[in-house]
This record gives sequence, structure tokens and C-alpha cells, in this order.
Amino acid sequence: MVNSMSIDQLAGSAISIKGLSKWYGDFKVLEAIDLNIDNGEKVVICGPSGSGKSTLIRCVNGLEEHQEGQIEVEGKVLEKDIKSISKVRAEVGMVFQHFNLFPHLSILDNCTLAPLTLRNVSRQEAEETAMHFLEKVKIPDQAHKFPSQLSGGQQQRVAIARSLCMKPKIMLFDEPTSALDPEMIKEVLDTMVELAEEGMTMICVTHEMGFAREVADRVIFMDSGKVVEMNTPENFFSNPEHPRTKLFLSQILDH
Amino acid sequence: MDYQFSFPYIWGATPDLLDGLWITLIVSLLSIIFSVIIGVVCASLRVFHVPVLSSVAAGYVHFIRSTPLLVQIFFIFYGLASLGFGLSGFWSGVLALSLWGGAYNTENIRGGLSAVDKGLKEAAYSLGLRPIHYLRLVALPIGLRVCIPALLNTAVSVLKNSSYLQAIGVAELTFVAMDRVAMDFRTLEMFLAIGLIYLVIVLLLSTAVRRLETFLKAPFNTA
Ligand SMILES: Nc1ncnc2c1ncn2[C@@H]1O[C@H](COP(=O)(O)OP(=O)(O)O)[C@@H](O)[C@H]1O
Ligand SMILES: [Mg+2]
Repeated sequence: MVNSMSIDQLAGSAISIKGLSKWYGDFKVLEAIDLNIDNGEKVVICGPSGSGKSTLIRCVNGLEEHQEGQIEVEGKVLEKDIKSISKVRAEVGMVFQHFNLFPHLSILDNCTLAPLTLRNVSRQEAEETAMHFLEKVKIPDQAHKFPSQLSGGQQQRVAIARSLCMKPKIMLFDEPTSALDPEMIKEVLDTMVELAEEGMTMICVTHEMGFAREVADRVIFMDSGKVVEMNTPENFFSNPEHPRTKLFLSQILDH
Repeated sequence: MDYQFSFPYIWGATPDLLDGLWITLIVSLLSIIFSVIIGVVCASLRVFHVPVLSSVAAGYVHFIRSTPLLVQIFFIFYGLASLGFGLSGFWSGVLALSLWGGAYNTENIRGGLSAVDKGLKEAAYSLGLRPIHYLRLVALPIGLRVCIPALLNTAVSVLKNSSYLQAIGVAELTFVAMDRVAMDFRTLEMFLAIGLIYLVIVLLLSTAVRRLETFLKAPFNTA
């Protein structure tokens, strides 16, 4: 019984999105999105600006409400009440373009805030966990500094560590390297690659196509609120089916 | 006009003035503390658009800001008494000043809270923190720091406005001065004396708050 459950769990979907539609007023941002993401799967989402990529992943952890369709995360249907949304959110880490570290707290306190508030752990345990993940993202020596004292790349790695401290099963990334100076992009991508290799379920909105080739199981192309194309990285890059995908790829690969 | 200014008179009045100063300080301190608490609560209700309560808070702020403080003081001291909820002059004064300062602090703190980067709320929520956690652990610590100068302004006004309480017989500094003036007609001496005392406590309060502000801002500045 226990065995079959854990096998179900392994084989089952981490995220299951059915018929998801969302409007801002009259404007339809997402149109009938269907998407299943298995445990341990890595999905890269790309597409032109304004196509709904951020909105889609923000629906997954309830940062945005949707009007139609159903989202299941780790087998739990995303409801509207704040308690159940908060529970889902604690299982789903999210990393933002602009890091969003808490500026009044040290790096260490940034990492222990949520676990100390939501999990039944002692300060010592929380700090040990935090140091473990700060070592993983290779900045344990910055633990007592404040966010403003760190470079963008370091701040983004702290943001990743801060999410990991909640031991999430899924990580969402919304253009995590778009706000970074070129020389800092690699350190963040390396951290993400490492995370991927450890089997984390990941959805990354990014235009880093090298990253997509290296770690993605599937690449999704979105345009005007729709999933236009979904394919393995090999097929996606070498043999895109949709004309709009071709156009998009030619634009971003030229630059 | 052969008014003879008398320093010895002020000296002689010092014990009375100190009694008055003590009441002024106690009333002001309590009112400032309560006004900050009221401000935090009402600003939070406003910022999180809590149904009904947000409108109640807005109405309260509007009412306080659109009526004279003296009327509010009389309303609380005489009005409540006639409804059977009579409070002493001291507590009527504390209540009136707290509500008055609280309205201004609601606006001050609302400003501070709306200055907090929206991304921090999303980060907090996506870690699983609930709105109340976000408010307590992120928004207030940041927002309150931002609005310290505005809070100081209101605190200074509360302190100065405590002199209105002489109208309901609270024996604070101004009341003491008026009382002596009525007996001895030493107007210049007494009003100069209390003017200087108000000036000094306002300066001390401002300095203390500026120190606090620098201290609290330190982590942000060490870039
Ligand atoms: N809060 C909002 N209110 C109204 N329109 C919005 C809001 N957020 C995003 N949009 C619109 O929704 C569309 C999709 O936005 P977004 O998901 O951020 O796109 P992407 O991340 O692909 O650039 C855009 O046209 C954007 O202008
Ligand atoms: Mg976006």
C-alpha cells in the first residue's frame, strides 16, 4: 500500500493544469492552457514579452487568481482560500527577476524567516538549514551581510537559497537572469543547473537557450496567452513547427 | 507700561511648573504610544482593504482631520460623560490626543506601507507567508522606518496640542501657567517659561527620534 502510493507519487504529476483561462478585465491573458508536469521534470517557457509567461507561472502558486480551469499542485487542487493557497505556496519555491530579498534582514535572516514562521523548527535548526543552502549556492561567507551589500548575481543566488530553505518540491523561475549584468548570469545558471541535476521539478521562464538545451526536458513557446508549441529541446531548436516559433527563435538566437 | 520682568518669580514657580511638565510628559508619552498603535492598526486595515473595517478607518481619519481638536476634546470629556461613559480629565485627554494623533499616523503609516516594494509581498507570499506574517515581518519593519520623519512630526504636534487639555482642567504645563497668571498676573514670565520648556522637550524628542532613525537605517546604508 505504502509502496504503491509512493510509486504513484513518483509517476504522478507535480503540476497539472487543465483548461486554464485568465482575464485582466476584458483582456484575455491566458487561453485554455493545458499542461502536465511530472515530478522531476524541467520545463522551460519562452515567448515574446507580454505573452503571459509570468502570469502562467504566477497562477501555479496562486499569486494570480484564475477564472477558468483547474490547477493541481502535488495532487492538491489550488483553492481560493488563503490558508490552502499558503500551504501550496510553501511547497513551491519562486525566484523573481528582481530577487526581492528582504532589505531589512541579513542574508541569514532572509533564509530563516519563512521556516521560523511556518515550520516547527528551532532557530538553530533553521540557521543550519540556511547555511547548508547558502553553501550550496556558494555564498556562506556573506551570511551576515545585508542584501544591498551583495552583487546582483549573489542576491539572486540568495533568493534561490531562501526558497530552498522551505524544502519545496517544485521551483518556479521567472526570468531569473534578465536583470543581471552579463558576467553574473553564469553563476546563477550554474546554480540552477545543479538544482536540476538533483532532480528538482522546475519551470523556468527564460530566454537563456543554452540553459534550455542543457537541462530542459521540454521547451514551451507561448504567444498571446496560448501554448503555441511544446517540444523536446532538440526538436524545438532544430526543427520548430510553428512559424511564430521560427520567427521568435531567429530573433533571439541572432542576438 | 512699567512691567518689571522678574526672573526670581519664574524661579519661585519652578515646583509648580515641574508638576505641570510631568503631567504634560505623561499625557504626551501615552498619547504618542497609543497614536502609533492606532496608526499601525488603521493603516494596515486600509492597505489590505479589509472589508468594512477599511471604510471605518477611512471615516475615522476623515472625521478627525475635519474637526477642531478642541471640539474633539470637549466631545470626549463632556459628551461621553452625558452618555454615561464619563472619563477623568486626564484619560479624556489621553483618549482625545491618541485619537487625534492616530488619525494622522494612519495616513503617515499608510504612506510608509505603500512605499514598500510590491515584489517583497510576492516574495513573502510565495514562501508561504500569510498576509499577517508579511505585515508583521516585512511591511511594517520597512514601512515604519520610511515614515519615521512623519511620525515625529505628529508626535511633536501631539505634545504641543497637549496644552489644549488645560481647557478641561488637566493640570499640565499650560494649565499651571494659566493658573499662576490668574493669581499673580505674571503673564510674560509664565508664558516665556513654558514656551522655553516646550521648545526644549520638542528639541529633545526630535534629537532622540533622529538618532533612532539613523540607528535603524544603518543596515540599509552600508552598501
Ligand atoms: N496586473 C495586470 N493588470 C492588467 N494587465 C496585466 C497585469 N499583469 C500583466 N498584464 C498583461 O498581461 C499580459 C501578460 O503579461 P505577463 O504574463 O507579464 O507576460 P510575460 O511574462 O510573458 O512578459 C501583458 O499584456 C500584460 O500587459
Ligand atoms: Mg514576465
